[in-house]
Formats: sequence, structure tokens, C-alpha cells
Amino acid sequence: MEAVVFEQVSKRFDSVVAVDNLSLRVGQGAVFGLLGPNGAGKTTSLRMILHILAPDEGTIQVLGQAASGRTQDLIGYLPEERGLYARMKVREVLVFLAALKGLSEVEALKRVRQWLERLELAAWAEKRINDLSKGMQQKAQFIAAVIHQPPLLILDEPFSGLDPVNATLIKDIMLELRAQGSTIILSTHRMEQVEMMCDAICLISRGRSVLAGDLRAIKQSYGKNTLRIEYSGDDNFLDLPHLVEKLNHFGAVVEAKLRPGADPQEILKAAVARGVRLSRFELVEPPLHDIFIEKVSEGHA
Amino acid sequence: MRKIWLVIKREYLTRVRSRGFILSTVGLPLFSVGIFAVTLALATRQTDHTLKISIADNLGGLAPEIVAELQENLPDGQPLYQVVRTWDRPPSEKKVQEELSEQIRRGQLDGFLEVPKDILEGNIATFHSQSPEDFQTNRDINRAIDNAVIARHLSDRGIYVDNLSDVVRGVELSLVRVTRTGEAQEKGQGLLVRLSIVMILYITLLAYGVMTMRSVLEEKTTRIIEILASSVKPSHLLGGKILGVAAVGLTQYLIWTLSAALIFAYGAAVGSAFLPGTSVPSFRLPASFLVYPLIFFLAGYFLYVSLYAALGAMVSSEEELQQLHLPVTMLLVLCVILSPIIMRDPNSPLAVTLTMIPLFSPILMVFRITVQTPPFWQIALSLALCVLTTVGVVQLSAKIYRLGILMYGKRPSLAELLRWLRYT
Repeated sequence: MEAVVFEQVSKRFDSVVAVDNLSLRVGQGAVFGLLGPNGAGKTTSLRMILHILAPDEGTIQVLGQAASGRTQDLIGYLPEERGLYARMKVREVLVFLAALKGLSEVEALKRVRQWLERLELAAWAEKRINDLSKGMQQKAQFIAAVIHQPPLLILDEPFSGLDPVNATLIKDIMLELRAQGSTIILSTHRMEQVEMMCDAICLISRGRSVLAGDLRAIKQSYGKNTLRIEYSGDDNFLDLPHLVEKLNHFGAVVEAKLRPGADPQEILKAAVARGVRLSRFELVEPPLHDIFIEKVSEGHA
Repeated sequence: MRKIWLVIKREYLTRVRSRGFILSTVGLPLFSVGIFAVTLALATRQTDHTLKISIADNLGGLAPEIVAELQENLPDGQPLYQVVRTWDRPPSEKKVQEELSEQIRRGQLDGFLEVPKDILEGNIATFHSQSPEDFQTNRDINRAIDNAVIARHLSDRGIYVDNLSDVVRGVELSLVRVTRTGEAQEKGQGLLVRLSIVMILYITLLAYGVMTMRSVLEEKTTRIIEILASSVKPSHLLGGKILGVAAVGLTQYLIWTLSAALIFAYGAAVGSAFLPGTSVPSFRLPASFLVYPLIFFLAGYFLYVSLYAALGAMVSSEEELQQLHLPVTMLLVLCVILSPIIMRDPNSPLAVTLTMIPLFSPILMVFRITVQTPPFWQIALSLALCVLTTVGVVQLSAKIYRLGILMYGKRPSLAELLRWLRYT
């Protein structure tokens, strides 16, 4: 059984086609990356999984059942646009939202206390949401998404606005939930997060799937065609248009996409000849970042 | 069902525990009772010492009669009024007036009464004092000079009366309203009660409508609506909200009604203890005063509150709301503005038509019933129209709400709104 199955799903708003004949499968127990440029139809797709919106055409299955009010309780959701009742107390909001997901209020209260403890918010339980900092509100909202231990967790940009300590805390919880069998759908623009966390992805552009499958397999299909170089000195040595198709500078690191058939040794020679000091010279698969841009611009061409 | 209940509970508890609710529930009655009590206390305050007054009688011969009328005593047996000096036709009105005013300023005198030469021709007398708002004293002085002048008029015509107050006693007029079911004693407060019912209905529909509208918008602007919509059906969310706010309103009215009853009971007990023989007027309202308003109120409540909820769902900011809610609010204001038409002639074709219009009938039909009970078929027709409209409006509002809560940015045009309504 799959966690989520889209069969030829379409959704239109007036004249705009938000999701266009989309089919996708999210395997159970995986961390699945739903990627795409702004306005590609990600949020609409997530809302259809959550049964906030109904598709115009096609069918959606969540954990083996057609998406409905009943499957809603099986899903935990952290929307990209955060917000809780500003004037309610942290404990009250979380108990209310947990109860809406089907927990008894006694059980909800017990779990709220545990989670607040774990995310270092226990001292803020009786404070109003308004009195919390942005990061704390973010954590409170994350609790609302996971408190009922959902078999399917949908996280839209879960790390935005979090400092590294809190981001690690959230990441550990995600991995822990995954180890307990939950499926996680991660929607984000941060490709390095996807590369580190996701097992499979679906890249959608203009409502259509342009790339889908196992992340490792996708990257392997591109082959090791990219050089990752760390160095100090002048970067003129990379001015080799017959070998290098594209350059990506990240300050201390540069990624060079090689032309088909180009020999990396030639670039190494050029570097040595110019007296550049190398601390890393590695042939790698293309970063997801590049694949994303390539695929999305392909679709627009 | 459990989820609706959770929504109702949250709406109810967060509102009832809010400072605004406590302030308006406790504050409003306390404020009005307080103002009433202070006014009453000021007006009926009994002085605890003898008031020294003088009389400047420019007519001549009237002062002794006035003094004879000022015979009240203080509780300790001392006279309430002591007339220090009377001036009979003083040579200079102005000089006497200045001297007496100076005595008041120095605290030697509490007040003086100035009787003009032509008082018998209808000119007014003047009472000078430092506290002209002293209702009780003013009334005593007024009655005294009134009776003195009447006695003088009578004696000028050769009529002598021993006990004037027995002769010049006002006759009170009792009002009886003839209704279809019989006759009912009409108290002076009848009109006041009717107008209060209109105002209470208006204020309640407006206040709870706006409260619901704000609450819908708040869930949108805080974006929690996204989480709510992923847990509860929009129609359950809307239903829970409307019922929760209704429960808040009922709680408020219950508190007010109970405390009003307690205050009346207490007032009656205190009143009869201190002033045996007097009774607090009892408000015995016919059942139609309570049953019909309740039914119409409920229909009107759901009608207006769901309209307001739809408005809240259509916009993304408080500023947009300001302009958008005006048309609906104007409908309610119109009810109040039109109510005199009903009062003047409750059976005129215009009044009958107005009370049939579903958006008006929750207020205007109730008002009409309290003025004069219309034929039953008119009440039934008006109610049926209102309930049917309410059912329709609630369904349309639910549709707008369902789509509106997820829409941000520019508010829908009328054409877009119609398209929303066509979605199933």
C-alpha cells in the first residue's frame, strides 16, 4: 500500500489550471520531496491530499482510502503560512487542534505537555501565542502537526525561520517519526535539504510532473558530470569553455558542469599550471539544484 | 459532530473568558444602573439641616401664604424650612436682591425666593440658591408659591378655601390598550419597552454579526484556517462558530435577565420595607412579547450572522471589511429608522409590506407585534418567508465561506462571487 496515490488529477481555478493531469506515488515510510517553482501547483496538491480541496478530475488515495474527511485525521500538516490563534494560550491551542484530529482532550493534554517539554517550550505553556517569538511559534505549530502521531506528515518549508539548533531538533523528530513508520511529504525550495533527507521526489512545474522517482536513481542517471572544486587563488583557470559548460560559484567552492566527453584531468592541469592551491577536487553527480533548474527551464522552453 | 462540538466549545470559552465579554456583561448593566441610581439619589436627596431662606415679595402680602405652605419637618422634628426674613414690597428690588445674594455667598442663607410684582399676571418667580439642582427643595418651593398664587386668585374672586391642596390636586390619567384578545393596562413604560426591544434586537444582531465576521477574518489573517480546514469540514467550522457565538449571546442575556430580576425583587423588598403601601410597578408582559421575538430573533440571528460570516470570508484585511460590511449593516440600521412607520399605523399597507420582507421582519415584525398584534396569518407568513430566506442565505454563505477562507489577495468581484455560488 502506498501512502499517497494521485491518478490523473486535475484542478482548475476559474481559467487557471493549477494541477494538470498529475499522477504520483508516495511510498510508505519514505521521506518524499514535493518540489517545484513558485506557483507550480504544490500547495494545491497538498491541499487536495488534505481534502481541503477536491480534485476536478482524477482520484486521490491516502493510505489506501479515497481522500475524505476520514483520512484527514491520518495526516499531520505544517502549512507554509504559519499561524495560530494569537490570543489563546499555547496549551489551549494545541489541545484544541489535537482534539480536532481525534485525540481525547485528556490524552491531548498529556501529549501537549510531553511535546512542549521536548521542544523546550514547557515554560511557555500558559503564555499567549502572541507572546512567543517567531521561532517558538514555529515549534508550537510543528507540535500541532505531529501530536496525533500521524501516519502521514506533510511539512511545507519546516525549517524556515529556525536557527540551526532548533532546525536540528525538528530534523531529529522527523527522522524519528520516519523510523516509527510515518511517511513524510516535504515541500521545500531548499535543495540541499532535499538531498540530505529525501528518498524520493516529484518535481512539478506548471501543474505537471516533470521528474519523479527515487532520488539516488535520478542523480545516477545524470552520471558524474560535475566537478566540485575548493581552492584558493585566481579562478581564471576555469575559463575553459570547450570543457566547462556551466560554472556555479559558492564563494569558497565552485561547481563546474563538464561538457560531454570532457576530461577532468585537463582542468586539473590548468589549475596546476596557474599555481592555484586546491584543497578539494572531486567528480560528483550534479546537485539537485542544477537538475531542478534544468528541468524547470526545459519545461518552459 | 464531535468536531462541531469542539469548535463551539472553543468559540464559547475563549469569548466568555475574554476581558471584553466580562466588561460588556458586567459593565453595561452596572453602568446603566449606576447612572440611574446616582441620578435618583441626587434628585431625592433629603437635606439633614434646616434650610434658611428669605422671601422678597414684590407683589405684597403673598409671603405669609408662602411661608404657611412650607411646613415640612426634618426627621428629627426640626422644621425643614426656616424663613429668616420676608421683604414686603421692598423699595429697591435690585438692592434686596444683591444683599440676599451676598448673604448666600457668605453662607448665612441657603436661598431666597424672588416674587415679581406681576406674578398674578403670569410672570415667573425666581429661586436663588447655591444648588439649583436640588430637586426636592425646588419642588417644595414651587408647590408653595403655586398654591399661594392660586389661593390669591381665588380670594380675589371671593372664594376662600381652607385646605387648598385638597382642591388643587391633579387627576391622573390611566391608559388602557384595547387589543384583539382583550384589554390590558397600559403602563407609561409601554412605549419604552417596545423601543428597547427594537434597540436590543438591533444591537444584538449587529454586535454578534460583527463578532462572527471578525472571527472568520481573524482565522484567515492568522492563517490558522489552513490547519482548521485540514481537520474539520468548512460547514462544521462555520456552524460551530455561529452556534458558539450564539451561546455567548444567550449567556450574556441570561446574566442580564437574572440580575435584572434580582434587582427588581430586591428593589421591591426594600421599597415596601421603607415605604409601606407603595409597590414597585410590575412588568407583566404578554406572552407574545416573548415567544415571537425569540423565534424571529433566532431566524434573524442565523440570517445576519451567516451573512456577516460570508463577508468575513470574502476579504483578507480589516480595511476591506470596513467598506464591505456597510450594506449589511445598513439593512439593520434601516430597521430602526423605519420602525416609526410601524408605530404610527401598524396596519397600513406600508407597515404590512415592511414586516413581510425577510431581512426586516426579525426586527420590524417583532416591533409590530408589540405595538398591536397583527392577524395570525401575517405573523405566520412573515415567519415562513424569514425562515425560508434564512435557510437559503445560510447555504449560500456556507458556499462563499468554504471558498473564501482559502482565498487571499483581492476580494472577489460580484461576477466571481456568482461563479463561486455555482460551484457544487
